[in-house]
Amino acid sequence: MAERPDRWIGVALDRQIKPGSSNPAIVGGNAIAVWRAEKGPANVWEDRCPHRGMRLSFGFVRDGMLRCIYHGWGYELGGHCASIPAHPDLAPPKTICANVYRSEERYGIIWTNLSESPNAPLPDAGPDQGWQSIRSVYVARQVAAVKGGLASFDWGGGRVEEIGEGAALVNAGGLSLLIAIQPVDESKTGLHVVAKGEGAKDAKARLAWASRLERLRGSIEAQS
Amino acid sequence: MAVTTDRAALNEWIACGWPEKVVPGGKYRTVLLGQEIEVRRTGVSSFEVFECDGHGELSRSLPVQAKYCCIFTTLGEPIRPLPKIPEFDEADRRITGCGSVGVHTSPFRIIENFLDMAHFSFVHTDILGAPERTEVLAYKTEHRKDVDEIWAIDCQFYQPAASKASKGGQMTHYAYRVMSPFSVMLYKNVFDDPTRNDAICLFVQPIDETECLAYMPLAIVDRESALTSIIDFQQTIFAQDRVILENQRPALLPLDPTIELPTRADASSIAFRRWLKAKNFQFGVYEKKAA
Ligand code: FES
Ligand SMILES: [Fe+2]
Repeated sequence: MAERPDRWIGVALDRQIKPGSSNPAIVGGNAIAVWRAEKGPANVWEDRCPHRGMRLSFGFVRDGMLRCIYHGWGYELGGHCASIPAHPDLAPPKTICANVYRSEERYGIIWTNLSESPNAPLPDAGPDQGWQSIRSVYVARQVAAVKGGLASFDWGGGRVEEIGEGAALVNAGGLSLLIAIQPVDESKTGLHVVAKGEGAKDAKARLAWASRLERLRGSIEAQS
Repeated sequence: MAVTTDRAALNEWIACGWPEKVVPGGKYRTVLLGQEIEVRRTGVSSFEVFECDGHGELSRSLPVQAKYCCIFTTLGEPIRPLPKIPEFDEADRRITGCGSVGVHTSPFRIIENFLDMAHFSFVHTDILGAPERTEVLAYKTEHRKDVDEIWAIDCQFYQPAASKASKGGQMTHYAYRVMSPFSVMLYKNVFDDPTRNDAICLFVQPIDETECLAYMPLAIVDRESALTSIIDFQQTIFAQDRVILENQRPALLPLDPTIELPTRADASSIAFRRWLKAKNFQFGVYEKKAA
């Protein structure tokens, strides 16, 4: 099994996980399902149904439960199985539970900590309010190369500062960019980027940052 | 890819193609349990099978039988004959293979899915199951020691469109029969005729532990439907199963009952896993790594 260090890792922007949807992601080689009930915060679970191992990211959301697509078992927030359609009159045994990871929504990003005993704090980027989503990019390089690329990229005069292991902050004239760094696997890294400040107020400026991130991806992948 | 050393797997008859796959005089290569083989059609219904060595040269000649719309061979010393399926000899049945479908998973995940009724309402919605009728009623499983087969009997499930011949919903009665670790079949009652059963087989060719070809020969009672639409029906069903099969984790089948949690409807899966465990199967089976 892939490692699961005690660390918060951004896996998506808030707005990418639509209400009533379940979505796949990979964190350090671990397959996860990121899902959201009709309302409320996102949940991060192991992408594996305890019944027969079907990926829960293929599941569907109904009445606040995540239902597995194979036999329709329904899991409540917290992971307990509350419904087994093959036996409508049976209360599922309490022992049936999806593997739930810690998750938090902060700065417009969904973070998870896969450790069995998560104690690490979330990266501190100041107050939670006012962050606007820019975009996610996936770079076909491993984390170390991507961090190197972040440090050497031309941020238009801004400078990059790592906050903990899983995030970086860029301050460039009147604007802060927060970059959550998601190790996907040996050859892929995700970057989830939000911004705040004067320079992020209008949509055009945000779009310009989004294309700058595309250039960042290109520049990192151009290095061998 | 290494050839398996698991005797339990080697000593079974395994499907490795179907007659129409190759013209008389023709040949093709395929892989069985990691071993490359060459299948030659020497006449209308005569075949030869050879192992290929590491350089692609033919080496050992292998036993071969053509039956039930498939070609079977074995790499070891078979511990049992091919199963008897008398339905394939009944004159008024439509007999057909359905070609083969590649599936990336363990052969045993494929067999287990075939034995399972609880997924009908979700995976074969409005065909083999209705969203509002999901209950799996109690059924019996048995290990028939004389033939070493696993059976699930007295199975029933409500189906909106049980087969190509269906003209409406029905309570379908099933019997399932696991004839070897790589072959399974079911009998289901024919629409409007409680005295007859359709016989549907599934033979799995394990290329390696997580890559298979599935063959689905049918011997069914349906005078009306065109053969192509009967085959289409089966292939539609199997395409729906394939999406599931390729997304189960792990792909290898766990035999340790604490890794996946069964319920009553899974009685046939429980019996199948126990049976594999008793045979000490290693091939295609998930072993929990020591921490
Ligand atoms: S595998 Fe999820 S409900 Fe059966
Ligand atoms: Fe199915």
